[in-house]
Amino acid sequence: MEAALIVPLLAAAVQSGTPILFATLGEMFTERAGVLNLGVEGMMVVGALAAFLTAQATGSPWLGLLAAGCAAALVGGLHGVVCLHFLGNQTVSGLALTIFGVGLANYLGTPFIGQRAPGFEPFDVPVLSAIPLLGDILFRHDALVYLSFLLPPLFWLFWHRTRPGLALTAAGEYPRAASAAGLNPVALRWAGILAGGFLVGLGGAYLSLAYTHLWTNGMTAGRGWIAVALVIFAFWRPGRAMFGAYLFGGVMAFQLRLQASGTDVPSSFLLMLPYALTVLALVLSALRGRGASSSAAPAALGVNIEPEG
Amino acid sequence: MLGLTVTRRMEPPRWGSIFIFPVALGVSLGVSCLLLAAQGKSPALGLEVLWSGAFGAWYTVEDTLLKTVPIFLCSLGVAVTFRMQVWNIGAEGQFALGAVGATWAALTFANLPGALLLPLMFACAAAAGGAWAAVPAWLKLRLGINEIISTLMFNYIGILILEYLVYGPWKDAGSHGFPMTSQFVPAAVVGHFPGTRLHWGVALCVVCAVGLWVLLTRTRPGFELKASGESLRAARYARMPYNTLVLLVMALCGALAGWAGLLEASAVTGRLQPSLMVGYGFTAIVVAWLARLSPARIALFSFFLAALRVGAENLQLELGVPAAFGGIMEGLILLTVLAGQFFNGYRIRPGGAHR
Amino acid sequence: MRGFRLIALLLCLAALPLLAACGEDKAENKPAPQAAPAQAEPAAEPQAAPAQGAQGEDAKIGFIYVSPTGDAGWSYSHDVARKVIEEMPGVTTSFVESVPEGPDAERVILNMARKGFKAIFATSYGYMDSMEKVAKEFPEIAFMHCSGYKTGPNMTAYFGRMYEARYLSGMVAGAMSKTGKLGYAAAFPIPEVIRGINAFALGAQAVNPAAEVRVVWTKTWYDPAKEKEAAKSLLDVGCDVIAQHQDSPGPQEAAQERGVYSIGYHTDMTAFAPKAHLTAPIWNWTPFYKDAVEKILAGTWQHQALWPGLAEGTVDLAPFGEMVPQDVRDMVLAKKQEIVDGKYKVFTGPVFDQAGKQMVPDEQVAEDKDLLGMTWFVKGVVGTTE
Repeated sequence: MEAALIVPLLAAAVQSGTPILFATLGEMFTERAGVLNLGVEGMMVVGALAAFLTAQATGSPWLGLLAAGCAAALVGGLHGVVCLHFLGNQTVSGLALTIFGVGLANYLGTPFIGQRAPGFEPFDVPVLSAIPLLGDILFRHDALVYLSFLLPPLFWLFWHRTRPGLALTAAGEYPRAASAAGLNPVALRWAGILAGGFLVGLGGAYLSLAYTHLWTNGMTAGRGWIAVALVIFAFWRPGRAMFGAYLFGGVMAFQLRLQASGTDVPSSFLLMLPYALTVLALVLSALRGRGASSSAAPAALGVNIEPEG
Repeated sequence: MLGLTVTRRMEPPRWGSIFIFPVALGVSLGVSCLLLAAQGKSPALGLEVLWSGAFGAWYTVEDTLLKTVPIFLCSLGVAVTFRMQVWNIGAEGQFALGAVGATWAALTFANLPGALLLPLMFACAAAAGGAWAAVPAWLKLRLGINEIISTLMFNYIGILILEYLVYGPWKDAGSHGFPMTSQFVPAAVVGHFPGTRLHWGVALCVVCAVGLWVLLTRTRPGFELKASGESLRAARYARMPYNTLVLLVMALCGALAGWAGLLEASAVTGRLQPSLMVGYGFTAIVVAWLARLSPARIALFSFFLAALRVGAENLQLELGVPAAFGGIMEGLILLTVLAGQFFNGYRIRPGGAHR
Repeated sequence: MRGFRLIALLLCLAALPLLAACGEDKAENKPAPQAAPAQAEPAAEPQAAPAQGAQGEDAKIGFIYVSPTGDAGWSYSHDVARKVIEEMPGVTTSFVESVPEGPDAERVILNMARKGFKAIFATSYGYMDSMEKVAKEFPEIAFMHCSGYKTGPNMTAYFGRMYEARYLSGMVAGAMSKTGKLGYAAAFPIPEVIRGINAFALGAQAVNPAAEVRVVWTKTWYDPAKEKEAAKSLLDVGCDVIAQHQDSPGPQEAAQERGVYSIGYHTDMTAFAPKAHLTAPIWNWTPFYKDAVEKILAGTWQHQALWPGLAEGTVDLAPFGEMVPQDVRDMVLAKKQEIVDGKYKVFTGPVFDQAGKQMVPDEQVAEDKDLLGMTWFVKGVVGTTE
């Protein structure tokens, strides 16, 4: 592959990784509060549809963005009801949510296939885009990408330096101790689900409002599952999530550019990379420090809070 | 909360198994009716078309039975793993690998007579699917890697392996570039019952169901399986070490899902192609959860969810409703059942406690 | 304990009205086209479905699509024709979209056949085997298969000579490109796609002999995000006109964003990329479908392999975008007239493949069967046919 393609490739990786980054951070938020939500794929595609419909109806992509977050959070709310109040198994509930969410989006969205919506257009950031190399890679995108740059540091600040963040951490690590300390872990977990769901919806909105301005059934094409894997790959740390999102997002862009430059590589193998790398990362960390990955996970992840008595 | 007291039950109430599913089904149907109405379709007509699509004529029942076979086999395996609290969501990938294994045998040994080739294919499918499940199991036991994520990743890797093979080395020269293997030789095709489109896979399902029932109720490993699912402590008293049980159970699940893949490739399609993957592995999870570890209930729920798929297709044909409708119902049923199962473990009483 | 049972009871009672409410509409709605679905039809195959509709009942024509009809592409173009058929007197149509190839397709075709449909149109190569199987069981029904090659006493294989329109679009692209590098986002390396790419390349080379066509395979018919990314990767290597054999306007969007030109496909995609869209090779199935349905219902249809093209109106070129100058338009339209009149045939030799081997001798035209099985690229195309 020609060297001149590297910069466009990295730029494409950033763009392609942005929806995955939103979804990963959203899921990470939920998981750090102690809830495993495997319904990301379903929530993401519902968000994409909501964004598309709202932007089409109102003419404002920002409203579409808002709608996406709310719709995804609402769908996530189902998971909340089932797991936090009916103590359903979180794994199975999340899967049910995916099946439901994907079905719902396809069902409601079929009449809108082939239509356009006003979306986010790319623009160059005034001074920064003039930086050689980095400028081209990072600062010639649309507003949502720039927004996503801010998220990981904000995320870190929130979780490590604010009270709500610490409270949420407690809900994820030691819910009983948290409630003994006067916090309400169930309410905290609700916050985790809703806020995380909102971010996941933003990831979906990116696909139908920025990455393309179109809607199709199954728009997310498995990105939600990649996000779930990425949370673990990133050991629940936002910075690593960013790296992983661009890496995995870049895989498809990489494969296509290889073809465009005349090289032929079996695309199936390249497409396996995100999944294989996740497993590999888990294996390596487990080998290095026994159970390092499991110790990075919130201690009460996936464990429902039993009612007292 | 809300002036209600929630207390644990010592054991599930008797009416739980009778009430929960119908109520859940009712709620799901209700919501689905609302969705139909929202699209301007008559819900009653929709339900009728859904029903007639699955049961309206003998040939539709045949279609439903044909779809029940792969769902049943996958569910059987998944139910067993769930019983051990091993959250295997990799049935989809194991299905794919089973199909791949069977295809390998069918293509490599195309000259063998059916009496040899078919058992070989079954063995290869079981081996491939079983191995694909055993690896995540091993990763869990040896390295503590969460099997939810590993089986999920293996799903995608498995499907991509299948795609690689049909796009590349196994692509039929006569298919004009379309991704599919050549048609299986007649010796490699699982036959049909004369006069119907049902194939011998149905018989296999019956055999497996009976086999599982015998295993669970009459053999020591089966008993240990049922018992160790209750708690790890019980498992320690079992003769077989927990680790071995897990590996065995996962391999078994992979083998069964692999056989489902074989049947779809060999009996239904006659070749390996990507359109084989329609999500049976995920439906199996729904069935496994609904039915727990009873072969009879697994059969019932597999049939039911197969009927849902077939009926939803008819819905599209007759009413123009997107086939995704079936997915909505499937997801809703599982969600509502999960919610309903709460009442298996807890009872609610009016009257607030101080909390 | 009592309070609990109460709740459960209430839930059941609450569910009942819902079901009853669903039932209320039954009386008001007249049933949709469902002639005889619910009756059990035991081994009454093959059905003695009469050629005329029974007692003034509308004749049912079925359509099976591989992708959603809204895709503004392949299935959409068939559906446009279906809607015209729907307006014909004595005819109702049904369609099923997004049907995966394989056993599901077979089931849908069988379903339609059992319901007494008079004709079934299946619009994807992968439906061929299923259609052949069902056609054997129902000799009175007309089975129409698009983009395949198997025929039978009651099965027609039909397609359109899209490559003729592609040639013309290649001329436009070649004339409008400054770098001479044309990008092509393509779905699968199957003969119809390869043929289209070749015709496009030959058309471009007729205007600019040094024109080069770069091909990227997306392995999907309809995935806007992936198709757009494929187009961007072509733009990154220096292509300045993007063409596609895809169902979504994703590549058009990519071209417009980068300020270059594009050629659409299936339908006029100007709405998606008004500044970029030069033209598009498009389908027009209406004349062919109307003719076929009329003849099928009259019992005069001959089943065979059919391949209409520009002359019959099955394929066409979309209107030119504003940016196309008059001299280019005149040149292309003149060539179009030549093809319509039969004076010029695309794939007239000499035509060479990528390795330089002469595939079509001078002055001769490639035969249909070679075109149908085309698996090699012409010189000037950069890419593999896998």
